[in-house]
Amino acid sequence: MTTNTVVSVSGLEKTYGKANERQYTALKGLNFTVDSGEFVGIMGASGSGKTTLLNMLSTLDTPTKGDVVVNGHDVTKMRGNQLADFRAQEVGFIFQDFNLLESLTAEENIGLPLALKGTPAKVMDQAIHEVAETLSIADLLQKYPAELSGGQKQRVAAARAIVHHPAILMGDEPTGALDSTSARELLDLLTTINEQQKMSVLLVTHDPFSASFCQRILFIKDGQIGSELRRGDQDRSTFYQGILTELGTFNE
Amino acid sequence: MLGKLALAGIKNRRRDYLVLLAGLTMSAAIFYMFANLATNQAFLKANAAISSANIIFGFGAVLLILITVVYIMYANSFLLSMRQHDYGLFMMLGATRKRVGELVFLETLILGTIATAIGLGLGLLMSKFLVGFLLNMLGLHLSHLTAVYVPAIVATGVLYVGLFILASLFNLIKLTRTTVLKLLHSDELANQPKVKPLRQMVQGVLGILFLAAGYWALASIKALQLAAIPIALVTITLGTYLLFRATILMVIRTLRHTGWAKKHLNGFLLGQLNFRVHNYTRMLTIVSLLFAMALGAITVGSGYHRQLPMMAEKIGTYTVAVHDKTAREQKLIDQLHVAHQATYTQKRQGKTVYYNASELRQTPVELRAYSNSGNMNDQKLYTESLKKFKKSGISDLDFLSLALGKVGAYSPKILTAKQFAKQPGKVVTVTTVRVKNLQQDLPALKKLNKLETARFSQPGTMTVGNYQNYEMMLAFFGGLEFIGYFLGIAFLAMLASCLMFKILSGAPGDQRRYRMLYKVGVRESLMRHGIAKEIGILFLIPGIMGVIDVLFGLQMFKPLMAAPMSPYLGIGSTFLIFIGLYAIYYLITLALYWRIVLPQAPND
Ligand SMILES: Nc1ncnc2c1ncn2[C@@H]1O[C@H](COP(=O)(O)OP(=O)(O)OP(=O)(O)O)[C@@H](O)[C@H]1O
Ligand SMILES: [Mg+2]
Repeated sequence: MTTNTVVSVSGLEKTYGKANERQYTALKGLNFTVDSGEFVGIMGASGSGKTTLLNMLSTLDTPTKGDVVVNGHDVTKMRGNQLADFRAQEVGFIFQDFNLLESLTAEENIGLPLALKGTPAKVMDQAIHEVAETLSIADLLQKYPAELSGGQKQRVAAARAIVHHPAILMGDEPTGALDSTSARELLDLLTTINEQQKMSVLLVTHDPFSASFCQRILFIKDGQIGSELRRGDQDRSTFYQGILTELGTFNE
Repeated sequence: MLGKLALAGIKNRRRDYLVLLAGLTMSAAIFYMFANLATNQAFLKANAAISSANIIFGFGAVLLILITVVYIMYANSFLLSMRQHDYGLFMMLGATRKRVGELVFLETLILGTIATAIGLGLGLLMSKFLVGFLLNMLGLHLSHLTAVYVPAIVATGVLYVGLFILASLFNLIKLTRTTVLKLLHSDELANQPKVKPLRQMVQGVLGILFLAAGYWALASIKALQLAAIPIALVTITLGTYLLFRATILMVIRTLRHTGWAKKHLNGFLLGQLNFRVHNYTRMLTIVSLLFAMALGAITVGSGYHRQLPMMAEKIGTYTVAVHDKTAREQKLIDQLHVAHQATYTQKRQGKTVYYNASELRQTPVELRAYSNSGNMNDQKLYTESLKKFKKSGISDLDFLSLALGKVGAYSPKILTAKQFAKQPGKVVTVTTVRVKNLQQDLPALKKLNKLETARFSQPGTMTVGNYQNYEMMLAFFGGLEFIGYFLGIAFLAMLASCLMFKILSGAPGDQRRYRMLYKVGVRESLMRHGIAKEIGILFLIPGIMGVIDVLFGLQMFKPLMAAPMSPYLGIGSTFLIFIGLYAIYYLITLALYWRIVLPQAPND
């Protein structure tokens, strides 16, 4: 395995339901890789297995078969605390429903991954203020989630996802609960982070507009990678048209 | 249809329901036991010593009712917290408020009725076995104590069903007044209490002043008489409440800005406490008071138990007097740890008992100096010359008691050895023994006393020696002691369950938070520790406050337990037992919380 591959998935299968119950196979032998510093989108119809895939990658669920290697760690071989530590150190998450702890201020929410690592308070403060600047939420740090708008919440969530410099940032429909302006702001920020910090980003979405910010898009159909689209040198609106066309043929 | 859905919802959480049901059942059972003791006229009449403690029973009953009301309130809020999401869903699906309201009302009432019924059954059983066991342990015998007493059953049933009807109505009103959206997302709202430094300062100072006033009232019960109790109750409640409000939030705020808060889950813990403690203030106040009462009741109860021998020792001179001792009695005497022993020969004729002067000169009779100081340690033993003894000591009650007839004491006369030899009359030898430590020799003394009283009957109103004194006081104070233990355990059981339900009501909301932490990559062990700390602090705050309350509150019993007794003597072991029981409640709550809150890792 070359060092510039962040995610490598081979023969990934996921079957829901116990052996004696009604079973459903959501993923049927998936293969793909994500290179270091790449911004990859995953699209597919509802129920095609996008969330399932992301759960496998992020160790929230375990595959039935196949291998998943993230930043050199074989995820399928890990147990208990290793899994928790992996999630805490190697990946950053942004969820559709923000997943902020409403008993903590924005600052404390962002600092959580660092606190878990036992980072010294000074280093932590510095890191928090750095990402807060990048995401322009410096003036929101003392507020509680209940006092923030949806877009602001998602930026705080993004800050928490990247504050500890994970190998890869994953988002499951992070723009799903946002209006178009906030969605665009967030996507711009993700692009900036991807370009400036060379952080790999894996974005699950069903929205072609969001997808058009990616460099490469994987389309999932019937539990397998149906097709792949590369942006190359196209500008975003051209790529957007391309995605629409692809979806048209893909979904027929 | 809706009924079916509701039933399915209950099935899903049957373990939580079992906890709730068990708690309510226990509470009803305890209440029945107490009501049985407090209202059973035949029992009260037959135990004269206890009927003097009628006031205490009344006081205890009022407290128990208060606790029961609070307890059911919290149990009910736990029930509501489990169900409101379901109810909100039903309404969103188009069920009318009226229909859902009916459902809520019925559910609460059915649960309550079942709990009361089982509780009564359990209470009957416990009255039969547990009370007997407790009495046995204390070495008490209370007559006419029956397990089944109809008025007590009725009282318990009426109180509990009545309270549950109220709780059902409360739920009904609460649900029909709340919007569907709020019901669905009730656990996501976290209100952040505002801190106003000046106000908090004033609250803190007032709180301390109130507490001081309360403790002062308890300490000066001699001057204030019965008024001390209500004064202390009001001021300590207010003081504790204000102090909690003022300090807990401030401490949490301060801690949040330290480096400590930035380690591991500490920040999360403080955040949790911050928005939780505020609406816990009232709860913690009540619980700390209950804690104090329970602990106080047990402490005083066991204090009497342990210290009665000490008090009995300081009254009178000898421990036992044995007349014409048999071989068996001699054997028992040999087992005693003797401090002083004397044997005198008596000749009884008519209404007079004659003593031999030479015997009295050889082993003078011990006398006790009674002082007016009220401190029994000042009451020293002494002996005096025969000449002096003939004038004053001879009329000492303990000396007179050495020769008791059917009607009363023989009047003593001291003869010279020569005259004594010639004096006709029935010859009796009497041996008096004073032991070093009454407590230590209780078993042997008990046997000895039994043998002695079987051979010589004495007038029922009189006691000979301080062992018999001890037995009489045991009967008298035993009632108090029993009530102390009983109330203490009952209070503890209820207060800890109150706290448990309050904490558990927050668990469904926390589920989501811990799910988030799980996703962010927090180790399970870290979450476990975090929860243990959080709940531990919530248990600890009222615990500490309660212990302080008790330490001051025991002042109140100082006049009742005059030196050498002291309400503070040997409280360590009582505290330990009590805290052990409290800790068990903590562990149960913790286990339940873990089970509700911790996310299930995917199983492969
Ligand atoms: N825990 C589960 N148990 C059984 N089946 C499941 C489970 N989770 C998902 N599935 C099934 O697996 C399939 C893929 O689900 P998944 O959530 O991955 O879809 P998705 O692509 O994320 O859809 P959407 O765009 O609607 O979010 C679906 O058919 C779903 O019914
Ligand atoms: Mg999904």
